[in-house]
Amino acid sequence: MKRIGQIFITVSLVALVLWVIPWLYNLMTLKPYSTPFTLYSCIIHDFTSLDRSDGKAFQFIDRNGNIHGDEVQPMFYASILASRGALPDTIEGRPVTMEEIDRNSIIVTSDPKDINRKQSKVHLLMESVPERLELKDPEEAVVSRKDGLYIYDMAANTLLKEKSDAFNAALRDKGFAFPARLFAGNPSDRKAYDEGYLVTDAEGKLFHFKQVDGTMEAEHFTEADRINLKHLIITEFENRATLGYLISTDNILYMLKPDGAVIPTEVRFDPQKEDLLVVGDMFYYTIKVSDEKGEHFYALRSGDFSLADKMDRPYEFEDEFNLCEYIFPCRFTFTSSNDGWVKPRLQDFSWTGLIVDIVLAVLIIMWRRRDRNPHF
Amino acid sequence: MNKMILYKEWLKTRWPLLGMAAVMVAFTFYSLLNLAKVVEFRGADILWSTLVFKETVLIEQLKYLPALAGAVLSVAQFLPEMTRKRLKLTLHLPYPQGKMIALMALYGMAAVTLLSLLQALVIGIVLGRWIVSELVVRVLVTAAVWYLAGWATYLWMAAICLEPTWRMRIVLLLILAGLVWLLFLSGIPEAYNGFLPWLVLYVLCGAVLLYHGVARFKEGLQD
Repeated sequence: MKRIGQIFITVSLVALVLWVIPWLYNLMTLKPYSTPFTLYSCIIHDFTSLDRSDGKAFQFIDRNGNIHGDEVQPMFYASILASRGALPDTIEGRPVTMEEIDRNSIIVTSDPKDINRKQSKVHLLMESVPERLELKDPEEAVVSRKDGLYIYDMAANTLLKEKSDAFNAALRDKGFAFPARLFAGNPSDRKAYDEGYLVTDAEGKLFHFKQVDGTMEAEHFTEADRINLKHLIITEFENRATLGYLISTDNILYMLKPDGAVIPTEVRFDPQKEDLLVVGDMFYYTIKVSDEKGEHFYALRSGDFSLADKMDRPYEFEDEFNLCEYIFPCRFTFTSSNDGWVKPRLQDFSWTGLIVDIVLAVLIIMWRRRDRNPHF
Repeated sequence: MNKMILYKEWLKTRWPLLGMAAVMVAFTFYSLLNLAKVVEFRGADILWSTLVFKETVLIEQLKYLPALAGAVLSVAQFLPEMTRKRLKLTLHLPYPQGKMIALMALYGMAAVTLLSLLQALVIGIVLGRWIVSELVVRVLVTAAVWYLAGWATYLWMAAICLEPTWRMRIVLLLILAGLVWLLFLSGIPEAYNGFLPWLVLYVLCGAVLLYHGVARFKEGLQD
């Protein structure tokens, strides 16, 4: 038993050292790294990045190195330009008004850490057409179970059986097969209108449902049946240009129109591994997909979501001395910036570290064999 | 003989056990009373939306209590054995030494488990009045790793008490610190789901450290 105890302690200590020392080293040597804010310009039709190199706050640089002021991004800085009287009347032959700019401004983000975690089976349910017009905080919740959706009155914590049956019947009428798989919704009153939920059924088919006057309004988007979906994002923007974004298992981003039309785009995005930032305006959507190696920018035309331009920006890593590589064969971590799970992960395998450790282990064993007092 | 050993353990631990039970009752009552007031003033809806949208399970105030209970019980049970080397007497009782250590550890583990189960039961019943069972399960599954921390501190602190040398005590203390850090590493609900069975296995394997310490004690090792 003593020998087993020694092995247990040794293994635990090795794991602890491989976890804590590299973590501490990384913490001490960590340096900030940021990339410039980049948008596609509807004026010069190129990607422009915010340049702070000479201390100026709003100076943009394009891919050819030309310097521009904030007038190169009239959609993003519309209010400031308008206050200076510098907002163009027309761009690309289209009249520009503040109202149109506001209505078409969108921002969407997606973070793998929000996706790679245990998702709740409970989804809050809003009334999409509230009696007093203004959206109200949800009072009911949908609980997704194997055999259907169950609607609960949250305040009373009671099942609304009749309503649940009616909701399930409405979905089954549209061909929905329980249990539901993917859910995407934004049950918040901080938006212009509510579109309920985009949801996939047991067969991966895409449906949309919302609560209208207390009853379920459901629709099946047959055009999406041909796509194997792995992630959904609902968009409830003022311009109603899209109902949502669909991401397939082969990482293609599709735009879902409110009428159920599905438009494939050139954007490749893995929601489980990559961050997404969409900044859209009247003319273009700038889509940034970032992973561990760099950023990929896509400019899509706002009307038909066709590709206008594309740019890749790899991160500029400097070859820095990493002491841990010469001491440890690998690094042990339990958390990741890409998911919400705590689990053991071995990273940064190093042959040098392994050889150094083997030599050290042999030396220690030799030293201990010579030692007549094994009191440790 | 089993009853006598268990009675001896009870005599050693009754006041710390009752004290920890009182602390856990008080904190649990306070935490649930807070939630009851939130429900009274803002409605139970707020608990649902908080659980769905935020990285919380509402009872974070209670997360360190099982770990504290494990440590307190362990010290109360095993420290007296080591003061003035009473463990020698215990090991000389007409009873197999291995079974003796196992019975002592089982008593302590059962006490920690009982405290944890009672607390989880009360939390489950009370929360079940306000939120749907899926959310209650989410809360309790998230809290499972906190209860595991109770077992971990119990076993490791027992091993530290039984260990005769300070050098090895420090090593065990470092491993315990790492283990406790790991068990409280993330506040994301159900973050440990897949890893939890392996953590349970590792923590239970820590029982071998009790025998390791006793073996070293019998060898006469000391600083």
